[in-house]
Amino acid sequence: MRKTVIASLTILIGWCAGLTFPASAAGDPDRDVVGRFLLVDTTGRPVTDEAYAGKIRLVVFGYTYCPDICPTILNTLSVALDHLGADRAKVVTLFISVDPQRDTVAHLKDYLVSFPEVIGLTGSPEQVAAVAYNYKARYEKQPAADGDPNAYSVDHTASIYIMDRAGNFLARMPHGSKPDRVAERVRSYLYPKKTDE
Amino acid sequence: MQRRAFLAALAAFGLPSPVGAKAAQGLLIHDQPKTLPALDIRDGDGAPAGLESLRGQAVLLNLWASWCGPCVAELPALDRLKPKAEAKGVAVVALSLDRSGKIAVVNTYARLGITALAIRTDEARAAAEKLNASALPVSLLLDRQGREVARYIGAADWEGPKAAILLEALAAGRPLTPDMAPPQVKMTTAP
Repeated sequence: MRKTVIASLTILIGWCAGLTFPASAAGDPDRDVVGRFLLVDTTGRPVTDEAYAGKIRLVVFGYTYCPDICPTILNTLSVALDHLGADRAKVVTLFISVDPQRDTVAHLKDYLVSFPEVIGLTGSPEQVAAVAYNYKARYEKQPAADGDPNAYSVDHTASIYIMDRAGNFLARMPHGSKPDRVAERVRSYLYPKKTDE
Repeated sequence: MQRRAFLAALAAFGLPSPVGAKAAQGLLIHDQPKTLPALDIRDGDGAPAGLESLRGQAVLLNLWASWCGPCVAELPALDRLKPKAEAKGVAVVALSLDRSGKIAVVNTYARLGITALAIRTDEARAAAEKLNASALPVSLLLDRQGREVARYIGAADWEGPKAAILLEALAAGRPLTPDMAPPQVKMTTAP
């Protein structure tokens, strides 16, 4: 039964992401992070990763409803862009919601007024599941202690992903990384040293 | 049910262990007081309003942002606390980390009817990093020498009896103990 569920989901995820991969590869823990996605931006338009071709991408997963404490990850990314100066034009920052139920297009747009340099992406539950799968990011709803069905929280991978200009995985930096370190890492990809191994 | 099955399936795929956005919450008392890094705090006119002027007085330094629901939900309680805390010798400073600076503060204060808290902004946009605040709200408790002796991560019940004991001890320079921790306040409705 469980295998059936997994196999079905593998097909579903692959289909949603517009990808084709053998079912046997899906269970491989060493599989690569894949930067492909089909989501919806804050204008309500469907968007794929190809919309950002030519730019380094800083990608984080999260959600805007934080009942207890709110991570300062978007603040970190904004400051990292400040550190990049003119090079920020070569970078896009993507915030992918793992809470499509509450993070509607309108709500996400409203929220990101505070972070105009960040592009918010949401989508159907299946689209979000697909991008999380591709990024090997995890998220899971946690019911509210008081049982309020609308007050759940969502545990999620809090890393900062850095993807190259074609959307391929370069690095995953931990939550809590300092903005200058993020900027430094991005710059190392913008201007790779030839002497590097 | 389908969602649970899906997540179970994700786990079965051998994906990396959850990193999660969970972090420590509540009162964290430091073993040793920590010297506070220099911060470029400005008032509503853009003039420097650093903590130096409060030296000799204990301080509750609350870090917040308009995009942080529980931060905004906590502000009215801090606004009410301010005169009471100051009567006990504890200054209350609410420092906004909003990148739009004063605008976000003015709008939020107006919306909430905040009257006692002064406008304080993080001009250099470096406070979160310098103070190692990876989540908001967070309230730093500073002794009379301006050193951080403890921090409260999350929104606290600042008007309850525990908070009163905590702030009295802070003002008097007495050691803070875990039993002084005020309860956390959960945001129930959007502020």
